[in-house]
Amino acid sequence: MEEKITTRRKVLIGMTSAVGAVGASFAAVPFIASWNPSAKAKAVGGPVKVDVSKMQIGQKIQVSWRKQPVFVIRHSKEALENLSKVESKLDDPSSLKIDEPYRDVNPTRSTSQEYTVIAGVCTHLGCAPKYYPEMESQPWDESWVGGFFCPCHGSMFDIVGRVFKGVPAPTNLKVPPHFFDGNILTIGEERGTA
Amino acid sequence: MKKILLVAFIFFSSQEALAAGGAPCGDYGECDTFKPKLNSIESLQLGAITFINHCYGCHSLKYSRWGRVAEDLDIPEEIFINNLVFGKNVKLGDRMTGSMKPAVSETWFGIAPPDLTLVTRLHGSDWVYTYLRTFYEDSSKPYGVNNMVYPGAAMPNVLASLQGQQILSCKDVPLIASNGGVRRDDFGNDITEEKCGFLKTIEGSGSLSVQEFDELIFNLVNFMTYIGEPSRSDRERMGWYAILFFVVFTALAYLLFREYQKDYH
Amino acid sequence: MTQKSSGFFNWINTRLPIVNTYERHLSKHPVPKKVNFWYMFGALASVVLIIQIVSGIWLMFGYENTEEGAFASIEYIMRDIEYGWIIRYMHTTGASMFFAVVYLHMFRGLLYGSYHKPRELVWVFGMTIYLVMMAEGFLGYVLPYGQMSYWGAQVIISLFGAIPYIGESLEIWVRGDYYISGATISRFFALHVVALPLILIALVFMHLVALHEVGAGNPEGVDIEKHLDEDGVPLDSVPFFPYKVLNALVAIGIFGIVFSIIMFFFPEGGGYMLELANFEEANPLSTPEHIAPVWYYSPYYAMLRAVPDKLGGLVVMGAAIAILFVVPWLDRSKAASIRYKGILSKIAMTIFIVSWLMLAWLGTVPVTALRTTLSIIGTVIYFAFFLLMPIYTSIEKTKPVPDRL
Repeated sequence: MEEKITTRRKVLIGMTSAVGAVGASFAAVPFIASWNPSAKAKAVGGPVKVDVSKMQIGQKIQVSWRKQPVFVIRHSKEALENLSKVESKLDDPSSLKIDEPYRDVNPTRSTSQEYTVIAGVCTHLGCAPKYYPEMESQPWDESWVGGFFCPCHGSMFDIVGRVFKGVPAPTNLKVPPHFFDGNILTIGEERGTA
Repeated sequence: MKKILLVAFIFFSSQEALAAGGAPCGDYGECDTFKPKLNSIESLQLGAITFINHCYGCHSLKYSRWGRVAEDLDIPEEIFINNLVFGKNVKLGDRMTGSMKPAVSETWFGIAPPDLTLVTRLHGSDWVYTYLRTFYEDSSKPYGVNNMVYPGAAMPNVLASLQGQQILSCKDVPLIASNGGVRRDDFGNDITEEKCGFLKTIEGSGSLSVQEFDELIFNLVNFMTYIGEPSRSDRERMGWYAILFFVVFTALAYLLFREYQKDYH
Repeated sequence: MTQKSSGFFNWINTRLPIVNTYERHLSKHPVPKKVNFWYMFGALASVVLIIQIVSGIWLMFGYENTEEGAFASIEYIMRDIEYGWIIRYMHTTGASMFFAVVYLHMFRGLLYGSYHKPRELVWVFGMTIYLVMMAEGFLGYVLPYGQMSYWGAQVIISLFGAIPYIGESLEIWVRGDYYISGATISRFFALHVVALPLILIALVFMHLVALHEVGAGNPEGVDIEKHLDEDGVPLDSVPFFPYKVLNALVAIGIFGIVFSIIMFFFPEGGGYMLELANFEEANPLSTPEHIAPVWYYSPYYAMLRAVPDKLGGLVVMGAAIAILFVVPWLDRSKAASIRYKGILSKIAMTIFIVSWLMLAWLGTVPVTALRTTLSIIGTVIYFAFFLLMPIYTSIEKTKPVPDRL
């Protein structure tokens, strides 16, 4: 049997292969898309609402979002004014090294002038840093002016979550997407997304 | 050979017709036909409202999620939450787990009202459509009603205020002769006999007319059909493309096959 | 082919004979030049096997193999996983199509005497595949844990109870519990997903190796090995690639049309593929009005119900499948293909087909006195077709089988 590759054959082979390839790619879509987070994952990972009206000044509360702790801190005016004092100790005071969602909006690094919203996950290896707001000498820093200290390997952050120089953690604590509607804080979503 | 098969076919069909067995819709006989309109958003929305207002108090839709219903029915989230979701801590991502605890409902009704997510797939939409319209007064039953499609149902007639009350009545029905014609007496009048078991709505006992009620139930069952398989309209739409693809592919493959067959045919 | 690429393939081929194997078993493998559509179902069966494995793996991403979670996890796949419903319907449609294709494939074997010497072993492997497929289908059907899953399992497992002496202990051993429970689901899951598919793949491999050793048959029953060219290649053959590949491609196209129509428009198959009772979660306290297996088991179910004795029914059902294994030795005809067999074989085949279809229908409907009688008649015809075969195939007058295609 001699196989003559005529023009007609070339065209037919080409067309059949093209149609076949198109079909195969459409057929692949459900198999690839089914790996995306399911409705259940999205529901569990959905935004969390918090009423911050009852928070006292200087208080930090912890909320769970996507199985992670998120810290919400209500700052006093003095604490925010003292932020500049700690800048010489910081590695990245303007959060230039990371993806900062609300850069330069507020000194709190959030969409509010009073509250800070940060992920309570140390950027070194993931432990939850502890909150030490008082301006008093600490074993890890004699001139401590308030902030977060991670007990696992000693990383330090200021009261709005910015990382100190010379600690194991490489970057500032992350700010999750959020918005305030009066006293209701929604964590995990930008304003206006449904 | 063909004659033998034809005779056999007729014989077996006739036997089937005489076979004993429950009719699909119980005492009602054949179910009323229901053809879903899954692309009618308006109908689905009305059905959803009816379900939440009249059914969700007892029946859960536990495999369905609120947010999916809002999205598929084109209802903006705010309006959906304010009008259709009752319950303080219900988030849109949650499943529609119902308002009643099974233990409570078992005490009240003797049996927990079943989850209805899949009821149209289990019994057929026709069945559900007919069931919801064939409650009738029956003083011998605990809640005063019985149902023609599902005799002895423990469910009270929750829609009685809308439909009004139905009773089983008797009618004079013309006798049909074996040739299909109506039997007549010597004076040319139809010969009738009394047949009972017909449903009759008591005029004015409900806020909706028969037609309005049927429309309400249609929308409700349409919604329940949607809830049984939310992806159904997608499925049917995609099906056309899949078939089209294979038809085109087969045609090309066939031409290619015949072209190469010349080599040895 | 350039020097470079052939050098690469050569390097591999001297270490792992992929080029030789590819040529011998795929591209250059000689196949009879004239076959009809009946010869396409083997290729389609392997396509469906792949569909089942791929869709099955994807279903595992969402399925929960526990008593509490199984049923709900199916709805999770249908609703919450993106396009999960496509994967689910692909698997259920594939299961029915697998049996449809395999039944047609087996029928081709009966029609054209594909089991004749030297292909007896191909047939035996094939029958083993069929047996494993039936087990695989049963195990898979239990997994969604609907009413029909539960009660179907109840019925089939209780068949084990019919075996004298060891029956009851065997039932408990199969279930892993005193009643069907999570223990049953998890072991059925492991068997359905791993054990039986591995066995199935191994059997399909053996089936194909045995086939390739002797070469495929043809509708005429001609032995194409009798006339070879100077290279030892049968004169009435064509190389598999591209000729048979293109033939298979057309078959796959048509198969795709049928598969899509069913999957996208009638995934429940009128209640015969996805039984409606299975849309309710398993309830050990409430038996559905009408327990019937899925359509592809129905001829055997009809036979089982036709016999009034529990053990007897099991024996008859087993024998009905067992007898298929020995067909190569029951057929004494000089002609392999029905085209050249005598009038007795043709009548027997026709009656068998009608009777099998009748049994298939009977297995799906509730029992009545008339239907039981018909089931008995159907069962008798079924066995007579096989048991009388040595007689009617030897005494009838066959037409001379041609020499060439």
